[in-house]
Amino acid sequence: MQRRDLLKLLAMSATAGPLAMPGLLHAQNAPTPRRGGTLKVALLGLDTADPHRHAGSIAVQQVYAETLTSIGDDGTVRPFLAERIDSSADGRTYTFHLRKNVRFHNGRAMTSADVKANFERVRDKVKGGWLTGAMKLARNIETPSPDVLRVELANAHAPFLNLLSELWIVAPESEGWNETIRRPIGTGPFKFGTWQPDVSFQAPAFDQYWQAGLPYLDAVEFDLRGDRDNSLSLRAGDLHLAYVGNDKLDSLAKDRMGIQFLKDTAWYFLSFNNRKPRPLLQDARVREAISLAVDKQAYMKFVVKTAVVSDQPVRPNTYFWDRELEQRDPHAKPDLARARELLKNAGVDPSRETLKVVSWQSDYAQVAVQMVRQLGFKIDHQALDDIGAQRLLGQYDWDLAPFHSGPRADVYLRYARLLSDGPSPMLWGGIQDKELDALINAAVSSPSAQKAREGYLQAWKHVMDKRYTLGLGHAADAIGVAPKVRGYETGYTWSQNRVDGGLARTWLAA
Amino acid sequence: MSTFRRLAPWVLLAVALTAAAIGPLLPGLDPYHQDLLARNLPPGPGHWLGTDSFGRDILARLVAGTRLTLLVAVCSAGIALLGGAGLGLMGCVAGGPARGAVYAAFDMIRTLPPILLSLALMVSLGVGTLSVILAVGIAFMPLFGYVARAVYEREMASGYVAAARVLGIAPAAIAWRHVLPNAAGALLTQVAIVVPRAIVTESVLSFFGLGVSPDVPTWGRIIATAVSYAEQAPASLLLPVLALALTTLSLSVLGNRLRDRFDPLGARA
Repeated sequence: MQRRDLLKLLAMSATAGPLAMPGLLHAQNAPTPRRGGTLKVALLGLDTADPHRHAGSIAVQQVYAETLTSIGDDGTVRPFLAERIDSSADGRTYTFHLRKNVRFHNGRAMTSADVKANFERVRDKVKGGWLTGAMKLARNIETPSPDVLRVELANAHAPFLNLLSELWIVAPESEGWNETIRRPIGTGPFKFGTWQPDVSFQAPAFDQYWQAGLPYLDAVEFDLRGDRDNSLSLRAGDLHLAYVGNDKLDSLAKDRMGIQFLKDTAWYFLSFNNRKPRPLLQDARVREAISLAVDKQAYMKFVVKTAVVSDQPVRPNTYFWDRELEQRDPHAKPDLARARELLKNAGVDPSRETLKVVSWQSDYAQVAVQMVRQLGFKIDHQALDDIGAQRLLGQYDWDLAPFHSGPRADVYLRYARLLSDGPSPMLWGGIQDKELDALINAAVSSPSAQKAREGYLQAWKHVMDKRYTLGLGHAADAIGVAPKVRGYETGYTWSQNRVDGGLARTWLAA
Repeated sequence: MSTFRRLAPWVLLAVALTAAAIGPLLPGLDPYHQDLLARNLPPGPGHWLGTDSFGRDILARLVAGTRLTLLVAVCSAGIALLGGAGLGLMGCVAGGPARGAVYAAFDMIRTLPPILLSLALMVSLGVGTLSVILAVGIAFMPLFGYVARAVYEREMASGYVAAARVLGIAPAAIAWRHVLPNAAGALLTQVAIVVPRAIVTESVLSFFGLGVSPDVPTWGRIIATAVSYAEQAPASLLLPVLALALTTLSLSVLGNRLRDRFDPLGARA
């Protein structure tokens, strides 16, 4: 495979369609960045100091640890710590040409041996998680020179390079390397400073960062106190950048606060219990009736005005989305009369049935509950925090689960949760379906983007036909930006340090 | 005491009880109906008190909330009364280690504020209306246990109980026939004191998302939903807060008056 072909494939394999690059567009006529200051940020949390064992909270650790590839603002995968990437025609061998001027925070230059050690650590010592499955495919990892790393996979794995955007490279001399890393020595624009779990994290600037002249800030201070209303802190000047709920957007705009949306969207869906469905929910007519009770348009507009309705796990008008499948969505509009008829045909008296619903403490879950309640069902709704919801979901003693899932570095990460042995499958009802596994695995191992797309769409059609999960739509998460913040641009995912943007390029006006 | 001060708590309580009693009978007041195109409306025709962030009628939810909140609080107080007074009296009658064990348990419960204990219990019981009632009831049990013990000891030292003992009447029968009727006044006073505290505890649990299901309109849930939209729809926050404050205030005032009437020591003080 030629490099040009590879880059074309990479561009298509991300879930995005072509988007402009606002960062570059704004580069012209931009004022000279001011150096110094501490940026105060509240985005996601930091659940571990070990970048290889993270459980999804990637917004913080990317400022001190970096990766070989990066998801660009347009959703395509790009070289990051690697300067160049070559791939064999069969999609099984990748050669990474590393940047020569990259230093760890202890001053030592990064070599291919360091990268190899990180690959092997994830492959051999980390259990579960996104990367472990992909890294298990890495049969040979060679270091022909200090600047070159060659990885041979057992078979082609389409999302490999995208997944590497979450394999953080840290120095093997980091404290705790053989067990759990407690003090990572990365290569990022900021160093691992003082961490108070669930309270705060201070990251001072790294003065030998490989991107000359960056970062502009003296430090970044993360507020890790979790779910709360950040809009007041933004208005008061206690925060410069913060995740804000959709219900705060109007009031922030009134106060002239900047609002940016992540470039990729979160996916909203309503799952049935597929692992241990009780007899009522084993009847396809009941699932169909419940699906027909949901008004997707009203639901998604409740989430946020800018949301879009879709029956698929990727947002409309992107490569892995299918227009025809969308147009044939049998649940595009609610049909309560038909839903009631289906229940009647199934011999179900909804007034005698209580549906158990599990959700986070999100308002949209109440909308789902009320829409289903219109059919006459009684509802036992348990709205819990993340840990409580995961615990309850894992017991599979429930019927319906309205949830959403944030932006992902690759379309595969949407489908991985639908596999019988996929990571954290509870939100999708713990599907156990060998036929579906085969379809997804065929898509993943396809060296052709076109074949991969066809495979994923076949898999999704299977999910729809089996009524495992009802796709509702997509909405982007919002970040509030204080007026004195300059040079900040949201990324495709929650990443705060990317090849084409992030906190390294952010500065504070006087 | 002026007529206003004397009657105000009764009037407020009567309003709350009337709303709780006849609210569900009023046509067109569906506390669950969502109109997603009519969210956060100010008071006006069609929605006298406006709508909340789901487009639900605030008046309908307040009325339904009054019923549910009072029901949860009264049931919790009932469980606290039955459990606290019942266990307390049984412990006193049994005496020895049994009495020690019952009151040691009450002492342990009392070391935690009711709200904290209820929070802990809710985590283990899981969310839901029955769990709330049970958690709040357990948290307030010791109050009734201590009252029962005080009355039991007072009555057991009296002459008529000594006479009953001489006649060979069993301690359990003495407790049932003589102690319990004499404790009724003090225990009912305690109920009046506990109900408003149970209302507040339930509201706090619901506010933190640990009480009843999210769309069930107790005052705590209504307030929790409205907090995020205080700027856009202040009525949806102010009205349930007002209902909670006025009802608990009137119940507290009435409870204090009952205590003054039934507690001679308190009256002298």
